[in-house]
Amino acid sequence: MAHNVWKIGGFALITYVLVMVFVVPMGPGLLELRSTEGTFISEEMERPIPEYFLTGFATHWNEAPDQLSVIVRSQSNLVQLQVIEVLDDTHARIGVSLPYSLPSKSWDVLINHPVDGTLLLENGLFLSDRFIDESLALPALAIEEFAADLPFHFPYQPRILETIRNLMLHVPMWFTMFVLMGIAFVASIKQLATSRSMVEDEKAEASVKAGLLFGILGLITGSVWARFTWGAWWVDDPQLNGALVTVLVYSGYIVLRNSIDNAPLRARLSAVYNLFAFIILIILLMVLPRFTESLHPGKGGNPGFNSYDLDSALRAAFYPAVIGWILIGIWMYRINLRFTRLNKLLK
Amino acid sequence: MNAINSILVQSHPLEGWFFGSGKALVVLAVALILLIGFGLWMWRAEARLKKMEAKLNQKTSRES
Repeated sequence: MAHNVWKIGGFALITYVLVMVFVVPMGPGLLELRSTEGTFISEEMERPIPEYFLTGFATHWNEAPDQLSVIVRSQSNLVQLQVIEVLDDTHARIGVSLPYSLPSKSWDVLINHPVDGTLLLENGLFLSDRFIDESLALPALAIEEFAADLPFHFPYQPRILETIRNLMLHVPMWFTMFVLMGIAFVASIKQLATSRSMVEDEKAEASVKAGLLFGILGLITGSVWARFTWGAWWVDDPQLNGALVTVLVYSGYIVLRNSIDNAPLRARLSAVYNLFAFIILIILLMVLPRFTESLHPGKGGNPGFNSYDLDSALRAAFYPAVIGWILIGIWMYRINLRFTRLNKLLK
Repeated sequence: MNAINSILVQSHPLEGWFFGSGKALVVLAVALILLIGFGLWMWRAEARLKKMEAKLNQKTSRES
């Protein structure tokens, strides 16, 4: 039983990760402040003021609607906006009563709320119909910032939103593929060093087959993610194209093996091919995308999740996901290896 | 008010419905059933392989 603990552990970790993925709520954020093209006349104001519509994401404005405050900011200038009505947890009508002369056209939008804390929407308000005088300074405004009072949640990311949950499925697929292709790479080196035995060749074959499965799953989960964040199933990106080429190169390994009948020759040729395939994997997935422009996080000047937004809540799910998928991948490789050996013995 | 209604409809209705109505829990249950089923299938496959290896070893040792 003791030698099976890691197998049960792998599945237990993925069960925990799936529960986290579907149960943990998202943190709050601001989506947009959009003009309704209408005006609002209050009892206190003499003239009608333009009405805007503020949309939040996973916010809780209905829990304390009277305490929602909306502020716009440009450099050190702060202006409090009027909250006309809180419609529900994520929607509110806002009156934008800014003077005609302003220091800037573009303003950041901030909200203060006792549950959600202080949220920021950078350049959320753009006023093109105002006179701009950069030397203008608006009257100072004292603001009390609230600390968020929220349960355990995944961080809000603009554009990515709910799809951040896919991080626990997509990225570990590639990590697992790297580990399995690494095992195949070492086995191929050993095979070339000790060419009489076929043991290492069997290891390399079983490992590449299991790794290829994870590579294909990585492509599928990445394509689905791209559709919901970039708007297309596939974009012409060095990281995406590199991933596809890598999977095709390893598919070529399987084709090469099946096309040679002579076992020692097959073992030697496929071991050499596998060495180059692994180097191509490293170059196409880890080196080239960093030197070219890429939409993919962590590549081509884009910050990765780890650098600023893989916070402690995501880490609590992401690291177990990586370990769990790698353990399952290794188990699949071992079963595949035993099956391959048995098949050869029966033949 | 029409403008407000159109904005309300556009702002991520699918995700709100998916998590708000409890449908996410149904998907979680299905995913867990599939995962556990896959785990059991692998366990059984390994057990069968073990048996077959043992039989084959017995056979080869008898023949030799």
